[in-house]
Amino acid sequence: MADFTLIQQGRFTSTGASVTIPLRSGVDWMRVYNTTVAAANQTTAIGVEYYWQNGFPQGYAWEYLKSNAADAANLSQYLTSGGFTYVDSSLTPNGVVNATVTAISNASIPVVTNSGTNGLTAGSIVRLFNITGGQQLGGMDFTVGYNTLSSTTFSLDYMAEIAAATTGSWMLINYDALYYPRRRYITNITQATQAVVTLSVTHGYLPGQKVKMIVPYVFGMIEMNNLYATIVAVNTTLTSGNTITLDIDSTSFTAFVFPTSGEYPAFTPAQVVPVGENSAEALTLGVDFLNDATINTGYIGMNLSAGANSPAGQSGNVIYWVAGASFNVNNQ
Amino acid sequence: MRQVHYLIVNEFINDVQGERLSEEDSIKRVCDSLTSRGNLERWDRRILSAMKMVIKVTELVLNEITCRLGVSLRQSEDTLIRNMLASTASFINCTAGINGDNPTNLTRPDIDDVILALLGNNAATMLDHIDGEDKFGTAPTRDAYFALCHTNLTKAFDSVNGFIAKAQYPSQMNVLRSEWGSISNLRFLVSSIGSITYKASEKGKNVYNIFCVGLEAYAVIDQDRYSSSFIYRPPMFSDPLAQNASVGYKYAQVPRICNDSWLYNLRCTIY
Repeated sequence: MADFTLIQQGRFTSTGASVTIPLRSGVDWMRVYNTTVAAANQTTAIGVEYYWQNGFPQGYAWEYLKSNAADAANLSQYLTSGGFTYVDSSLTPNGVVNATVTAISNASIPVVTNSGTNGLTAGSIVRLFNITGGQQLGGMDFTVGYNTLSSTTFSLDYMAEIAAATTGSWMLINYDALYYPRRRYITNITQATQAVVTLSVTHGYLPGQKVKMIVPYVFGMIEMNNLYATIVAVNTTLTSGNTITLDIDSTSFTAFVFPTSGEYPAFTPAQVVPVGENSAEALTLGVDFLNDATINTGYIGMNLSAGANSPAGQSGNVIYWVAGASFNVNNQ
Repeated sequence: MRQVHYLIVNEFINDVQGERLSEEDSIKRVCDSLTSRGNLERWDRRILSAMKMVIKVTELVLNEITCRLGVSLRQSEDTLIRNMLASTASFINCTAGINGDNPTNLTRPDIDDVILALLGNNAATMLDHIDGEDKFGTAPTRDAYFALCHTNLTKAFDSVNGFIAKAQYPSQMNVLRSEWGSISNLRFLVSSIGSITYKASEKGKNVYNIFCVGLEAYAVIDQDRYSSSFIYRPPMFSDPLAQNASVGYKYAQVPRICNDSWLYNLRCTIY
């Protein structure tokens, strides 16, 4: 083996879902072994080993199949989908803009209806554009699908009620902003002895963190603007939570009101900006007082598709993998 | 200036030339000198034997790669800082423009707003003013914060009230290479790797992030006791026949906002 060939290896038990394996310094080749399949007799040919190397198109793989009781992989095929997908999260390749929004409801948790098939999963992040009757949502990101999700509908889980809107566009945000902790959009703030703030996207904040509130006058609660606060509690309930509770008494503040469509031609959204840590509060709460640390969440890696003939296998399969970087790649 | 870990560059800076250069310039000058026979002889005593191996074995290719890696190193650092600021810093949308989007195109009132916010938070300016002089076509500039942005914004600056191009400064003494001009108390530094949030406006257009920063608004913290290391491995370590050399860099650091009130991301569209 040549010097400079960087090897990583590992093992996981399949849950039946695709798996993304972070890898260092990129990867030029990768092999995946399904030991569960290899250890049993197979009556129908099924994938037991998979190979990928630099130059394969995204999603492709070379598959070896175990076809019968013999302890041999005696068939192989070149998969054009359901294989390996190289991932570099820093490239932020968001989805395409889909001009398929046909309506947004005025329910307490707004539901977007789209034509065609949206392909979303619960927890996906979606950005809306140019919504007729819902211009105030344009350019904002939302976590979707925990309350309502089908191929033609998805809920804006943490958005407050709006007037019904009609046509527009949406785009899937494949990767969250690179650095944690992230700035988030505010969709609501309560008037309470400890203000509860709802964020449009799963926030990831932790108790003890210090935040700065940006609440422009168009959102009503102008008294909250530019205040610093400590997060004393978080709610991470998927369907209705995603809130942070602050040590600010907002009882006497002006009510928070999300702008209506066209009320203001342009405005700065209300934001929560992470600025640090209240160490004393963190110690009182018994949490890590360094949990505000800036973390680069980017990674290079390989996404393995799941299934009987895909590298991440079926639920319960024990998968071993090994990956490396070649000294020289000469793809012509 | 931070310590340079590339030994040849240290030799060049401290012993031979006796002047202080930026790291990028230092690497480039070393490489330039090594590709010139005259300079090579001149600096021969100062060059480590490993560097002679570079010349003999891989000739100019490795030298050029070294130059490019030096640029890549600094651009990687800039990119990471850019991404951190884009992820975390509070922002102000341009709202006074006329293109009907949110954020709008860049205007003077928007710039005034961000300056007002920085001043109100006692952010210190980065640069001193430049006195007016009796030179045709020039104008004095004010004490200024830096505004870090993408090169695509340069054509938008001309239409902003109060824009002074770099060439119109009364003095070019302290002008930076990447500087494009000034508006009020902002001096704009442009880069092709400036921050863009793709398809993020109300109309789905690209949003340009202009990081308006005061003194010490953010910092880069070295991790694990080293900053950036430039590493050359001669062919002897590659394979039994010593056929391949390598050169590369590594660093471990994290960017961090020191005071969020001294930094605003002014967001705009440019159509």
